[in-house]
Amino acid sequence: MKRFFLMAITLLLVVGIIVGCSSKSSTDDKKDDPKKDDKEETVTLNFFQFKVEIAEQLQKMIDEFETEHPNIKVKLETVGGGADYGAALKAKFASGEKPDIFNNGGFKELELWKEHLADLSGEPWAEHVLPIGKVPMTDTDGKLYGMPVNLEGYGFIYNKDLFEKAGITEPPGTISELKAAAAKLKDAGITPFSAGYGEWWVIGQHLLNIGFAQQDDPVAYIAGLYDGSQKIVGNEKFAQFKEVLDTEIGFANDNPITTDYNTQVTLFASGQTAMVQQGNWTENMITEINPDINMGFLPIALNDDKAASDRLPVGVPNNWVINKNSKNIEEAKLFLDWMVSSETGKRYITEEFAFIPAFDNIEPTGLGDLGQSILEYSKADKTIPWTWFRWPDGANKEFAAVIQEYAAGKIDYDTVLQRFQESWDNLK
Amino acid sequence: MNTQLETKSQTNKAIKSVSKRNKTIKNILTYAAFVGPALLFFIVIQIIPFFMGVYYSFTSWNGVSSTAEWVGLANYIKIFKNDPGFVNSFLFTTKFMFAAVIISNFIGFGLALLLNAALKSRNLLRTVFFIPNVIGGLLLGFIWQFIFVKGFASIGKMTDLAFFKLPWLGDENTAFWGIVIVFAWQISGYMMVIYIAALQGVDQNLLEAAKIDGASNWTLLTKIIIPLILPAFTICIFLTISMAFKIFDINISLTNGGPFNSTQSVAINIYQEAFQYNRYGLGTAKSILFFIVVAIFTTVQVLATKKREVEA
Repeated sequence: MKRFFLMAITLLLVVGIIVGCSSKSSTDDKKDDPKKDDKEETVTLNFFQFKVEIAEQLQKMIDEFETEHPNIKVKLETVGGGADYGAALKAKFASGEKPDIFNNGGFKELELWKEHLADLSGEPWAEHVLPIGKVPMTDTDGKLYGMPVNLEGYGFIYNKDLFEKAGITEPPGTISELKAAAAKLKDAGITPFSAGYGEWWVIGQHLLNIGFAQQDDPVAYIAGLYDGSQKIVGNEKFAQFKEVLDTEIGFANDNPITTDYNTQVTLFASGQTAMVQQGNWTENMITEINPDINMGFLPIALNDDKAASDRLPVGVPNNWVINKNSKNIEEAKLFLDWMVSSETGKRYITEEFAFIPAFDNIEPTGLGDLGQSILEYSKADKTIPWTWFRWPDGANKEFAAVIQEYAAGKIDYDTVLQRFQESWDNLK
Repeated sequence: MNTQLETKSQTNKAIKSVSKRNKTIKNILTYAAFVGPALLFFIVIQIIPFFMGVYYSFTSWNGVSSTAEWVGLANYIKIFKNDPGFVNSFLFTTKFMFAAVIISNFIGFGLALLLNAALKSRNLLRTVFFIPNVIGGLLLGFIWQFIFVKGFASIGKMTDLAFFKLPWLGDENTAFWGIVIVFAWQISGYMMVIYIAALQGVDQNLLEAAKIDGASNWTLLTKIIIPLILPAFTICIFLTISMAFKIFDINISLTNGGPFNSTQSVAINIYQEAFQYNRYGLGTAKSILFFIVVAIFTTVQVLATKKREVEA
C-alpha cells in the first residue's frame, strides 16, 4: 500500500511536469496570436535593456508613463554592466520569452537581428533624429530600424588643476605635445595616465578605433579591409598608432594590464593621475568621488597634424528597437514616441539620465563639463566616427588581447599589426 | 483421475505464470516510477540538447536567425586547419588539468589524513575546509580577483615581500598559478570529504595487525591504507579531471581569459565563439570535439585506476 502510494505520487509529479510545460507553451501560442485583445484590457510590454547606469531613473520614468497610460504596463529588466547582454538576449529569444523593446548596437548587430526588428521609418520622431544618430540603424534600403539612445564621446579626459600644477599652460593637441606634457607631469611627481588595459573595450575598441576613424574615409577603408584591397599592415595611420600606445604605456600607472574600469576611473577621480582615456559616461562616477574636479577632453592625437587631430570620436552607443512579431507593437511604438516627445520623457532623458540627446528637438540641459565638451565638438562638426560596430564580430576582443600582449612587452609592434590583420581576416 | 490431476497441475502452472508476469510488470512499473522522473529530466536537459548540438555543429547558424544553413564538415575542417586560439586554449586547459588534479588531490588527501586523526577540533575543521566548495565559482572568482589585485598589492607594499609584489593576474605564468590556487582551494575540501569517508571504512584490525608486525607509519600508508582506498582515488581523480577540464566560472571571473588570452580555457573559447563572435555552429563543433577528448581522458583514467583496486 505504501509503495503504491509513493508510486502514485511520483507519477502525479511526472504528469504535473508534463502538463506544466505544455500549458506554458499553449499560453505562448496565444501570445503570438495577432488578433488583439479587448482595448480595455491592460497590456504588458517587456522592456529588456542593458544600461545599468540609468536603471533606477528609467524605472521612475516608466512609473510616470504608466500613470499617464493606465492600460499599458511596462516590465523593465536590466542586464548589463559586467554581464553579457548579447548572450542574455539570445537566450531570451531561444526560450520564446521575446522582449518587446530591447537594445541593438547597429551596423553588424542590425544585420544579425534584422529579421526580428520592426521598421520604424514612419514614426513621428524619426525626422528629428540627428544625421549622426540615424547611421547605425539605417539599412542599405534606407529603412530606419531603431531609435538612438543618446550620443556619447570619448578621448583623454584631463584634470585641469593637475596640468596647471605641472606648469602646462596649453592643452596638448598633437602627439608630440602630449608626450611633452606627460613628461612634465611625471617630473612634477604626478602619474600622467591611468591606463585601463585590463578592459578589452577600453583598448580593443575605443583606443584602436582612432586608427580606423582617422583614415581619410573610414567607411571605404573598412570596406576595403573586408574585400582585401586595404591592409592594416603598412597603413600609415596604424603605423602612427604605435606612438599613442607607447606614450600611454610609458607614462601609465603600475600594472596597467590588471587595471579594470573602476580602478582606472577611481585613480583619475581621486587625483592620483592626470589623464584617463574614457568617455563622458564616466562623468557621474568621477564627480561622485570628487565633486570639485575641473576637467575637460583632449582628443587622442595620432600625429602632429593639429587640425586633423582635434576631433573627438562621437557616436551612438546603442539604440532602442522593437520586436516585429510583438503582439503589442503599437503600444511599444507609443512608448518610444512618448519617451522623446512628451515633456516628461524629455525631462528624464536630459536631466535624469544626463544624456546628450540625439534629437534636434530636445534641448540638452543638465550636462556636466564632459557632456558639454562633447556637445561643443559635435556642434562644431569636429567628430570622427565610432567604427567598431562595423568590425567583424569578436575582432574587438582579439585586438584587445594583442594590445595587452604588446603592453606586457611580449611582442613588438610589427607583430601587433600582423596579428590585427590575421584576426580581421579570420573573423570577417 | 489421472486427467484430472493433469489439468490441475496445468492450471497451477498457468496461475504461476500469470502471477510471474504480474510480478515483472509490477517490477518494471516500480523501476519506471523511480527512474522515470530523473530519466525524463536527463533526456530533456542533457540528451536532446546534445543531439541538437551535434546537428548545429554541421551548420553555420549565427545563434539568432531562424534558418540554419547546412555546411557539412566545414566547421570541423576550420578548427583543425586554422584556429590557433582553440589549440592554445586546449594546451592551457590540459596543462591546468594536470596541475589542478595533482595539487587538489594532494591537499585533499593530506587534509583527510590529518582530520581522520583524533583531533578535538576535527569536526569544526572539516566544515571550515569544506565551505569554499559551497560558494559559487563566479563569486569565488571575483573575491579572489580582489585578493590578487588589491589584497596582494597592499600586502606587498607593507611587507616588501617579492611574492606579493608580482603582477599576479597580469602575467601569463602567475595568472595560470592563480587559477590553479583558487581551483584547489575550492575543490580540495570536497575531495577531503570523499577521502575521509573512505579512510573511515578501513578495517582497524588490519592496521593493528600490521603495527604488531612492526610496520612503520609510512609503510602502513603506502602498503595498506592507499591500496585499500583506491576506489576513492578513482572517484576523486575522475571528478577533478572532468571539473578541471570544464573550468569556466572561476576562469571567467578571475582573469576572463586574460592577459592576452593566455589563460583562456576551452569552455571560454567555445562560449566566446558561440555567443560573442556569433558563430554558433563553429562553437558547437568545438564543444563536440571537447566532449570527445574529455570522455577519452576520463575513461582511460577510470580504467587504469580500476585495474589497481584491491579488496582486503
